Amino acid sequence: MPGLNSSLNIALSGLQAQQSALNVVGHNIANVNTPGYTRQRANISSGQALIQGDVYYGSGANVTSVQGIRDRFLNLQITRETAKQSGADTRYTTVSAVSSSLGDTGATGISAKLQAFFQSFQDLAARPEDTSLRTNVVGKAQNLVSSLQTQYQMLDDQRSNADQTVGSLVGQVNTLANQIAQLNQRITSATTAGADNDAIDQRQALTDKLAGLVGINVVEGSKGEFQITLDSGAAVLVSGSSSYDLTAKRAGTLTDNYLQVASNMGGTLVDVTAGIKEGQLGANLDLRDNLLVGFQAQLDQIAAGVASSVNLTQKAMLAVNGLVGQDFFQNASVLNSASDGLPTSITANPTLKSGSGWTDHYKGMVKLLTVNAALVANPSLIAASANGVAGDNSIALAMAQLGSANATVDTGPGGTTGFTGAMGALITDLGTQTQNYAAQNTTQQNLVSALQTQRDSLSGVNLDEEASNMMMLQRGYQASARFLSVISSLADQLMRQFGN
Amino acid sequence: MSFRTSSTTQQRQNLLDLQATQERLALNQSRIASGKRITQPGEDPAGAALILDFGTSIDTNTQFLKQVDSASSFLQYAEDAVATTINDTTRLQELAQQGLSSTNAGSGRAALAQEVAAIRANLLAMGNTQVQGKYIFAGTMTTTPPFADDGTGTGTLAYNGDNSTINLTVSAGSAPVATNVTGRQVFQGGAPAAGSATDIFQVTLDLQAALATNNEAAIQLASTRLQTIQDNLNQVQADLGGRQAGLADVKSTLTSFNATLQGMQSGQEDTDFAQAITQYSSDQTIQSATLSIMAKTSKVNLFDYLA
Repeated sequence: MPGLNSSLNIALSGLQAQQSALNVVGHNIANVNTPGYTRQRANISSGQALIQGDVYYGSGANVTSVQGIRDRFLNLQITRETAKQSGADTRYTTVSAVSSSLGDTGATGISAKLQAFFQSFQDLAARPEDTSLRTNVVGKAQNLVSSLQTQYQMLDDQRSNADQTVGSLVGQVNTLANQIAQLNQRITSATTAGADNDAIDQRQALTDKLAGLVGINVVEGSKGEFQITLDSGAAVLVSGSSSYDLTAKRAGTLTDNYLQVASNMGGTLVDVTAGIKEGQLGANLDLRDNLLVGFQAQLDQIAAGVASSVNLTQKAMLAVNGLVGQDFFQNASVLNSASDGLPTSITANPTLKSGSGWTDHYKGMVKLLTVNAALVANPSLIAASANGVAGDNSIALAMAQLGSANATVDTGPGGTTGFTGAMGALITDLGTQTQNYAAQNTTQQNLVSALQTQRDSLSGVNLDEEASNMMMLQRGYQASARFLSVISSLADQLMRQFGN
Repeated sequence: MSFRTSSTTQQRQNLLDLQATQERLALNQSRIASGKRITQPGEDPAGAALILDFGTSIDTNTQFLKQVDSASSFLQYAEDAVATTINDTTRLQELAQQGLSSTNAGSGRAALAQEVAAIRANLLAMGNTQVQGKYIFAGTMTTTPPFADDGTGTGTLAYNGDNSTINLTVSAGSAPVATNVTGRQVFQGGAPAAGSATDIFQVTLDLQAALATNNEAAIQLASTRLQTIQDNLNQVQADLGGRQAGLADVKSTLTSFNATLQGMQSGQEDTDFAQAITQYSSDQTIQSATLSIMAKTSKVNLFDYLA
């Protein structure tokens, strides 16, 4: 038969177990609004029995562990989808901002300026003798050029914004990777693997944050440590307790001296710019190197189409004073255009006319385009006539018709379209991309939100549940205390009867 | 079995719903304020491209309408000049008939010759009509006066214009419209050489001389020639009238085409106010309901009931 002392110990263990469990409840309640917090549960088990002859007497209760209620596969899925969501969000924000100005279908849009330019030639056709109408043609041409250049510059500005963002994001990625590595160290060195619930939560929260910045793959090792690589696998960010920094440096090999992102593993720098697909970093790189460039290339093609068709038509003809028609558009520094009507410095990349480098063929066309200064100074040099006779308007008519002609814009190997077609394609392209990223963003947001709900349903703190646990544990504590007082009174009884 | 819901889940879901509602509110607000259904291409890429396409067609047609107006005005000026010329020719014919009558023999004919000379000056002014700085009867050589003394001392006028037509495009795909008639066609009967029997200036000059010299046979010849010239002028006038009527048709076609296009563009581009406003107010209701629910649910908690 166990003695009174043993019963006192049982009472004590009960008090301690209930109190410890209450402590865990308190921790849960305190963290009800902590992002990424995983609720904890105190596991209470009965103490080892004492054997007295054939009889096993229990020895009270112990808290054997505090367990975090989590599903790590769910967590990894959230991490992955978070990266995609933030990537789509970043792309959507920029493309949609660009589209409202570049995709202007109203009177201030590029399309309207193009129309106005070609229509000014129709006005000229009605009165080819008139100098003021020639001045009007020059004005409309300058409007068109400045409108193209404004939009082009806006795209350039967005690209350098993206580039600057890349620089600052790389710093944040490094800080996070470093913190995760330190937490890996703490988690793996815990006495029991996985016992440090709060460190695991912190690491998960940081990993989610990292995924928002850059697309990553996370693998959990046997000791509970995270191994984190870029989503393409191009570089390791965190391995065990070490983290590997990314560096962003200006690289002459990239256009406009943009930042190149490199991984620094084992002392050698490896270029991973193309290996970052998702997250804000991946999206900014994609915007800078692909998406916005695509829109610029379309503007370049339109500008090349205008310069080439107008110059060729102009040069074949005679101006009002009988001189041979001059180039209408030119590159400010190059006076004569090539046989294809393009200012000569622009065809510098004829080898790129096919294949994947195609978009670079007319690269920079918009930036270089100017209206021939001689025509600006003396608009009567604009040719309206095929034979130099003042009233002849056949060239003005031909110029006006270029506006609606087919095959004036070279859109790639084997493809041509008219100006209306090219503008339509640009608008549709802008629209479709915006719509696409908006849809992707919403889908990913819903997915992440559904996964978070699932995670919360398992790991989140429910205050009602904690309140009821608290009551239960309070009752347990009260009962143990009552038991303690009963045993104590028994001992008291003995003391008093045999005490004197 | 019940689904375990954490205390923050509901909050987050409410927040997401609230944000979605606010986004719709903002979208409808900008649709209502701007009157445009599509505020940026991403909302309807195909619609945006159509709007652009309609807009381009409307612009093109509007420009064609301007071209029709300027073509009509040139033709109108030419027709006015030709009409005056016809009146002058009729008067010349009358004068010739009077000259043939024996009552006007002698000094009477000299007076008639003076009036013929005055009419001839007016005819020359018609031939050198200038509209907006261009000589409309000079072919494409619009900066040169088409009729001037040929310098031979005979008083014959040379034609210094050319025989080219000035065309304007007035609609997509159809043949351009000629906006001029040449001085040679109008005043010289299309005949190649100045001074021929169909040259109105030559015949007038001949008539003047015949009247002054009392040459009845020559007056008779001039009168016959004037008849031919008048026939030609009538023909030219009919031609000019016909071209203007054609332009009026083109104009009405372009106008109604534009009206149709504008209707279609507005169908794509303009806000359906009834729909936008209905959706806006329904979203407002949803928003205030969500807000009040959020305020209430966060209060319901077991802790409220524990002493």
